[in-house]
Amino acid sequence: MRSLVVLDGTVGTADRQARALGAFLRDGSTGHPAAETLVFFSDDRDMGRLVEQAPTRGVRLVKTAERRPDAIVDILSAAARDAENQLFIFTGGYSGTELATRLAHRTGGTVMTDALSIEIGPERLTCRRPVYSNHMVGSFELAARPWCVSIDVSWDDEAAAARREHVVLSSTDETGAAGGPDETPFEDLELVEPPPTGDLEQSRFLVVAGAGAGSRDGVERIAAAARRMGAEFAVSRPVAMSAWAPMDRLIGVSGTRTAPELCIVAGASGAPALYWGIEKAGFIAAIDLDERAPIAKSADAVILDDGVAVIEELAEIIAPKRE
Amino acid sequence: MNAMRILVRFKVTPDYEALREADWAAGEGDCSDRSGAAEADARAGSGVASGVETRYVPRILDCFDESALEMALRMRDATASDGVPVDLGAISVGGREVEPHLKTLQALGYERATRVHVDAGLDFAPTVTASIIARYVQETNKTDLLMLGCRNGPDDAGTLPFLVAEELGWPCVTQVTEVMVLSDDRVRVAHMVDDGLLRVTVRLPCVLGVGNAVVARLRVPTLTARLARREAHIEHVQTSDLGIDVVSGLAGESYVLTGLEVVRRDRSGTIIGGQTPREKAQTLFDSHLKSLMGKL
Repeated sequence: MRSLVVLDGTVGTADRQARALGAFLRDGSTGHPAAETLVFFSDDRDMGRLVEQAPTRGVRLVKTAERRPDAIVDILSAAARDAENQLFIFTGGYSGTELATRLAHRTGGTVMTDALSIEIGPERLTCRRPVYSNHMVGSFELAARPWCVSIDVSWDDEAAAARREHVVLSSTDETGAAGGPDETPFEDLELVEPPPTGDLEQSRFLVVAGAGAGSRDGVERIAAAARRMGAEFAVSRPVAMSAWAPMDRLIGVSGTRTAPELCIVAGASGAPALYWGIEKAGFIAAIDLDERAPIAKSADAVILDDGVAVIEELAEIIAPKRE
Repeated sequence: MNAMRILVRFKVTPDYEALREADWAAGEGDCSDRSGAAEADARAGSGVASGVETRYVPRILDCFDESALEMALRMRDATASDGVPVDLGAISVGGREVEPHLKTLQALGYERATRVHVDAGLDFAPTVTASIIARYVQETNKTDLLMLGCRNGPDDAGTLPFLVAEELGWPCVTQVTEVMVLSDDRVRVAHMVDDGLLRVTVRLPCVLGVGNAVVARLRVPTLTARLARREAHIEHVQTSDLGIDVVSGLAGESYVLTGLEVVRRDRSGTIIGGQTPREKAQTLFDSHLKSLMGKL
């Protein structure tokens, strides 16, 4: 039995994928069979770097068309015909979900996304993953193989990207398999922006506004206070859905996940879907009128008061010290 | 010019934020005795899937599905004067709880409203749900573009759009934030990918999974519109009409839920005292934030 780790180097996130997959193999899986990395790439210049980033010693290189997950699924489906290849591990995020799901469907296997951990047994694979909008963690048993697992996006560790010895086991060119322009329903691809939430992901000081701000004006006052303090600004989903702030400011399960040193949450109840986005924060201070709100238990310090008023006072105190 | 026929699938879910801490705790534990066929029977009999009691909680439209429903209306509006005619349909798989939402959608201009009747809970059965939707699309042959939210329900796995697309053999784009109708067989789509925002033109038929779109809220119909469509017909479909046996489908799901645990997030929750916002802010700063300033 062999597991294949899939590193998609045809898109711009290979560094992060490698770190995440490395961390998951090291800390997230037990009973692991021999693993190899399937590295997909579209530009020969990336090949050496991608091999160095691979999270396993054994590496198989596959050249394919850029941004063609359908082509990658076809190649993986062929690999799954080898009965030895019973477990495929994909990165977290959108592409991992797509590849794992489509591969499982085409091969009669089982898909499991957002894996926090897996335990591999002779007959079954057990997987833990968030359910109920992150209120709970479910344990699942997977039966039909191949098991196609994409890992949770929380997996990431710089140390897991450390270089190790690699052996290139094979190298193939499958660019022809993707077919020509007439064979794809997709036309005129245009990557129009870098990730708009990069500042949130790397933030060390974050202020989060919730619906308790009461209005667009309240949210804008919190945003202005965050700017004065030199903090990044994010919002809960209800705020974004009310169009009080842009969607790219959204934090939580359906937005960005962060790990700031300091996070101040103003006027958000701290529902698990939001909390998921800040739970790795070093220190969480919450300002909310409701002492029974979930955030009152899941913060390090709590002020029971109006979020807008207190955050503006905090800005008066902190801003001069940050200049 | 042919009309573009759009079908939007939506789900009505319990409002999980309305559940109490004790409700989640009560749902913890081993679910293995409710796996496979036993789970299927339990789901069919009680509507309670896998341990967490949600029957008393208000039902809401899933937020991503809500975006998809409004997005389709805006596609129709944008092409109303000189563009491609757009024909809208809505479908939901579930019980009576979906009917008020279907009525609302009819008042908003959804010509076709369909409920596929299922008693059993399909909470952790995306494959069965995908089969039902795909089979309906195939049987009715009235859909060029299928739209649905990227993630929903307690399973929240993000697999459903891909599973439906695979069943249909259609292309699929997920995390869609904008859609523009180009012609009766092409749409221009903006969607989030792991390294940015990608714009792409897609030939129909296809499946679009809607993500964090700017269009987030479903509009509210006028009373006049509601009255005008109050007699509109809602199509009721049985899964057996589609050749699907839900109970055996559930028993055959390739994974089973065996346990649930509440995610513990407790921190110290120290209450910061004071009379005024200024006093409280100063105390918070002095007692906790001051020492953190050097790390920021």
